[in-house]
Amino acid sequence: MSKISRRDLLQYIGAGGIGAVGGVLYGEGVQRKVELLIPQVIPPEDYSPGVATWYNTVCNQCSAGCGITVRIREGKAKKIEGNPVHPISQGRTCARGQAGLNALYNPDRIRTPMQNVGQTGAGRFVEISWDEALTTVGSRISRLKIEGKANSVRLLSGQVRGHLDELFAQFMDLLGSEHYQQYDFTYPGTIRAANRISFGVEQLPYYDIKNADFLLSFGADYLGTWLSPVHHSLAYGHLRQGRAGQRGKTVQIEPRMSLSGASADEWIPARPGTEGLLALGIANAIVGAGRYLGSDRDQWSVALEAYSPSVVSGKTDVSEDIIVRIAKEFSDNKSSLAIAGGAAAAGTNAVATVVAVNALNYLVGNLNQPGGVIFNSNSAFSTMPSSNQASFQEMLDLVDAMESGEVEVLLVNDTNPVFALPDHVGFRRAMEKVALVVALSTFHDETTQMADLILPTSTYLESWGDDAPDPGVGFPVASISQPVIAKLYDAIPVGDIVLSMARQIGGELPVSMHWSSMEEFIKDRWREEYVSRASDGEDQDFESFWRAALEAGVWGQPGAIDSDPSVPSSASIIASIADPESKFAGNESDYAFVLHPYLTATFLDGRGANLPWLQEMPDPMTSVVYGSWAELNPVTADEMGIREGDILDIESPAGSIRVPALIFPAIRPGVVAIPIGQGHAEYGRYAKDRGVNPINIVAPLMDDQTGDLAWAATRVKVKATGERLHIIKTGGVSRTLGRQILGPSNDHS
Amino acid sequence: MSTIVEKFRQYRKPGYYEKYDYHWAMTIDLDRCTGCEACMVACQAENNIPIVGEEQYAMNREIQWIRIERYWEGEYPNIKMNFMPMLCQQCDDAPCETACPVFATYHNQDGLNTQIYNRCIGTRTCAVYCPYEVRYFNWFTYTWDEPLEQQLNPDVSVREKGIMEKCTFCIQRIRIAKDLAKDDDRRRVRDGEVIPACVQSCPTEALIFGNSNDPEAKVTKMMNNHRGYKVLEELNTTPSIVYLTKAHS
Amino acid sequence: MFDHGQPTYAEVNKDIISTMLETGPKYWILLGSTMSLAGIFFFMPWIYQLFVGVGAAGMNRNAVWGTYLSNFIFWIGLSHSGTLLSAVLHITNSPWRKSIYRSAEAMTLFSLITAALFVMVHVGRVWFVHWSFPIPNQMGLWPNFRSPLMFDVMAITTYLTASSIFIYMGSVPDFAAVRDASTGVRRRLYAVFSFGWRGTAREWHTLGWAYTFFAVFVIPLAVSVHSIVSWDFALSAVPGFHHTIFAPYFVTGAIYSGTAGIVTVMYCLRKFLNFERYIGQVHLDSLGKLLIALSLIWSYINVLELFTTWYGGSSFELEALSFRMTGFYAPLYWEMILFCAFVPLLMLTRKIRWSWNKMLVISILINIGMLTERFIIVATSQPRKFLPDAFGFYVPSWIEISITIGSFGIFMTLFLIFIKWVPSISIYEVKETLKPLRRDA
Repeated sequence: MSKISRRDLLQYIGAGGIGAVGGVLYGEGVQRKVELLIPQVIPPEDYSPGVATWYNTVCNQCSAGCGITVRIREGKAKKIEGNPVHPISQGRTCARGQAGLNALYNPDRIRTPMQNVGQTGAGRFVEISWDEALTTVGSRISRLKIEGKANSVRLLSGQVRGHLDELFAQFMDLLGSEHYQQYDFTYPGTIRAANRISFGVEQLPYYDIKNADFLLSFGADYLGTWLSPVHHSLAYGHLRQGRAGQRGKTVQIEPRMSLSGASADEWIPARPGTEGLLALGIANAIVGAGRYLGSDRDQWSVALEAYSPSVVSGKTDVSEDIIVRIAKEFSDNKSSLAIAGGAAAAGTNAVATVVAVNALNYLVGNLNQPGGVIFNSNSAFSTMPSSNQASFQEMLDLVDAMESGEVEVLLVNDTNPVFALPDHVGFRRAMEKVALVVALSTFHDETTQMADLILPTSTYLESWGDDAPDPGVGFPVASISQPVIAKLYDAIPVGDIVLSMARQIGGELPVSMHWSSMEEFIKDRWREEYVSRASDGEDQDFESFWRAALEAGVWGQPGAIDSDPSVPSSASIIASIADPESKFAGNESDYAFVLHPYLTATFLDGRGANLPWLQEMPDPMTSVVYGSWAELNPVTADEMGIREGDILDIESPAGSIRVPALIFPAIRPGVVAIPIGQGHAEYGRYAKDRGVNPINIVAPLMDDQTGDLAWAATRVKVKATGERLHIIKTGGVSRTLGRQILGPSNDHS
Repeated sequence: MSTIVEKFRQYRKPGYYEKYDYHWAMTIDLDRCTGCEACMVACQAENNIPIVGEEQYAMNREIQWIRIERYWEGEYPNIKMNFMPMLCQQCDDAPCETACPVFATYHNQDGLNTQIYNRCIGTRTCAVYCPYEVRYFNWFTYTWDEPLEQQLNPDVSVREKGIMEKCTFCIQRIRIAKDLAKDDDRRRVRDGEVIPACVQSCPTEALIFGNSNDPEAKVTKMMNNHRGYKVLEELNTTPSIVYLTKAHS
Repeated sequence: MFDHGQPTYAEVNKDIISTMLETGPKYWILLGSTMSLAGIFFFMPWIYQLFVGVGAAGMNRNAVWGTYLSNFIFWIGLSHSGTLLSAVLHITNSPWRKSIYRSAEAMTLFSLITAALFVMVHVGRVWFVHWSFPIPNQMGLWPNFRSPLMFDVMAITTYLTASSIFIYMGSVPDFAAVRDASTGVRRRLYAVFSFGWRGTAREWHTLGWAYTFFAVFVIPLAVSVHSIVSWDFALSAVPGFHHTIFAPYFVTGAIYSGTAGIVTVMYCLRKFLNFERYIGQVHLDSLGKLLIALSLIWSYINVLELFTTWYGGSSFELEALSFRMTGFYAPLYWEMILFCAFVPLLMLTRKIRWSWNKMLVISILINIGMLTERFIIVATSQPRKFLPDAFGFYVPSWIEISITIGSFGIFMTLFLIFIKWVPSISIYEVKETLKPLRRDA
């Protein structure tokens, strides 16, 4: 060891000390990500850390309008539950409702306004500011208005009810445009039209499944996707085991077993498109057996003459015994209810089918009775525009208008026609001809891809709104939708965007639409409603009412059934049914199979495909995840030499798709069922480039009366391509193999 | 000496308890269940169950604390479907509890088969021993694409790789309910005050949950229903879940 | 006993010790390759798995146990070779065991170490695996002694300890012989290893007594270890696992595969270390007869399993069995039956039993069959438990196959190190078999 002098030592110590101090200072000074164990010594004002608060609002994952309550911790949404006091959901939710949090916190949400800088549809978007965006839209629309071409501005929205609907209507009205339409694939237009024909009221009545003894469903998947699944499920549970000593019976008539069919006591696979005929056959049996005691029974007899069970049996492929027995059971039971939906209400004779089913309800006299069809003519909101749902024909007209350059500005809100209409309709291509497409979207779906300008909208969990649920529950109900968290990103709720646009456009718009926010607008309208119902016409108690309404999330007036108890349905309606059987695109010899696309409990019409929890949720009937499939009867598959996983080429007169086969025991031979929901070309990482969209090969046939798309009226040919694809299922062997799993004594093999 | 004998006797009893404090139990009415899977997504939301992804699903590595099993019956056209929700049966004589070498799973004083995540070393013996196959392993440390992790429930730990997990009857909700009851005049938890996420969301009210030690509880009455049975009862695992068979009109 | 004439005492020492002192390049190449095999095929994938998670392997929700566990059982099985040969045959005073028992005992030790490594690979959170030992901890928790895995921990550590002491103790006089034949550092080292053995009568007497004691002690240990390992399976309710025959089945299978392993190792020793003089026909013949006996017992037990499943009529068991015999893994099942039940019957003919090459092939086939058997047990019972909707499927991944191959690398590396550090044939026991020489030889 060499010697160190005292001086050197002191120098070393000094240098070392300075270095150490310098290092510490540097370390402290450098901006580090703050990592605090106890982040909130002084908590923020709007929440208490560790304490959960619950906010009531309305779910928007389908059109049922269930009330939900959301658990908020530290300003973040944690869990969605049903709102216990809401008459539709009564504290319950469905799987899609639960997945709403995936929509709120989806990684692929649009965060800022965007402008398309490349070719339309190429997807080259750059971020712009709200000012820029609103100025662009506002100035274009106002210029068109000044030039008197306000009619070239069109608003296409998804299904919207409540005062947002009114806001849209008012906006377009003040603009001077007649073109405000809503398009939703799941909209039950044929049912509403049929109700107008049968009962004189164009609405969705309240189907009181809860108190029924016998539920006869023609294709309506009431437990999975039809109208209001949560409420129907509650009702179903009650129908089964909610009444001591009394268990209701359900029968499902459809070519492919849906979720509701799986729970039914009987599943009857009638020939596709003949459900209406079957209903008439049952009606004939009821009248023929003398079980209809109305004064016009002779007219009914005459009207139903052509539909005797023996004739109907041959055409529907349902045995005469079954028809007669169902007729007997249906008319024997105290409270019988018949409903129609799904593919039965999506043929070329959809309206006629539902009219025939309505006749059954009339014949057993369940109109406005417990367990029957209850009409809610009394809406909670007195000033509501009438429904302006576009039928398929009207969408074709829109495509024509766009192609011919009639549409200068197209505002699209929360709807995806590029996906929900068949490709051959040409909606996508027509959008290229529109001068300015403004997409008001939360997610970048196929329609948003075609936009020139994207204005990001907040989700329903961050927006103010309200709703009068449809179908209702037999009495007036109004729900309030309030934001449960501070809104994320630079997105704005659509109502507020419309108000901003009104201000931008100027003229009389911001004068009439003077509200600064959607919240103000909703509150204003509710005050008006309150005043109109208050006995003294005053509003001094409105604030406490409003607070109570927000706390409950809903207002209702049970017991106030205002409709005429005796609703007529004339036999002549039946007599005027020209075509009780659906027509099909494609002839039977070339196209041996009937295509049965169906709405899925996971994705509905495709809107849920971007939510990872729903992609991971096994399809309830098949347990498949993350893909598409085509269901074939095992005997049919055997005959064609098709095994599960073989990729099939399925071709209709309108197009073809390739999809792997799945052997499904509960489907008619000669029918191939493909779930709707996958096959997105955009829509985020969870949905993109996955599976197929069967809507694309649906032929452009329409219901005779309404012009709605007859999506169950396509025939296809099925061919194995020789390639295979592994279908991901979570289920193993779906037979009990003689093991007593489902009960101690039943043989469930 | 007598304390030693006493302790030994206690130790030898399954679950170690003479009498449970609460005995959480559930009934599942198969006549009401429609297979809608709302319970599955609710459970995923409540318990921070990871999004496993397509590749892992293809390898059969899903994590579904509650799942719906499907059983076809008969042949077309007389074909029927039966749905059966399957979740941890919280067996009183659980085969999995004896299997774990480190006591990561044990029976607590409420009759629950609990899983202690931070004790688990991942031998996976419990999953082999479980006849109901309701135990799920974290093969990787799963992550959530930002900002999906904002939804995670702060009352439930997020598990890393190598840890076994399963249904806990939402023990976090039970704990909170017991805390609130204690604050409220040191009383017991009343029937209906605590329900797991699956029971809360079920739209047909097929799932009923409660304390089967309470003779007045709804679940106790449902458990005595003549349609009641236990799955794989012959294995003598003494599950805490009673299923009610489908009925006929 | 000796094929090429009896060696002298000096020749015995020289032959055996020279294998330790003289090392050619072939050895180093071989050692290098086995170490690479172990490193690349075992450790690298394992380290990858430690970072990524056990999901790198192919197990899934149904079959949470996979090849890691079946390999673990295979290696424990292989470890029964030494015990049987060394301990059992010592008690029965079989003369032909003398030259092969040392290597067999070494096989035991190294198989156990490899098996223990497999436990580490298999477990999800290896960094906490010490919690399964009853050591003081800040949580104040004992491990769960009712768990069969705890029985495993106890049994295997006991077996490992006992076997190490057993082999060490038996090698002390040989270490002394090496000490006497070497110089320098090596001499000093072996002086320490041999505990200053002088070879007095008293020392020999004590050694004999202690060795016999251990032999008697180790035999029930061996039986219990593999029974306990089998109870990992048998104590579950899983059909295909839950059989009382499992303990005898596994023990028989272990001894069977261990003995076949010995044949393979003997062949290699003979070849590479030029031990033709010491390991001869008689050894081969005796091992062959032993293998036949074990094969017959093994076949009997398999038939028993089929028979009890058949007359038991339990739907669960029948399903597990039919999946095994006719399902996806049916070819492996039948290969196992072929290799373990039928191929060994060839050894009934003297010609085959006396042919080194043919016996090598048969012994390797037997071990392949036994490896398959462990895999079949693990992979075909789990996917077919009680609820048919939960039936599944398991295919091993590349990492698992790689680690399986790598484990052989570990074993071979350890064995190669062993033959250079410990006399691979027991010098003093071989000398005991020599006819006493005339004084003037």
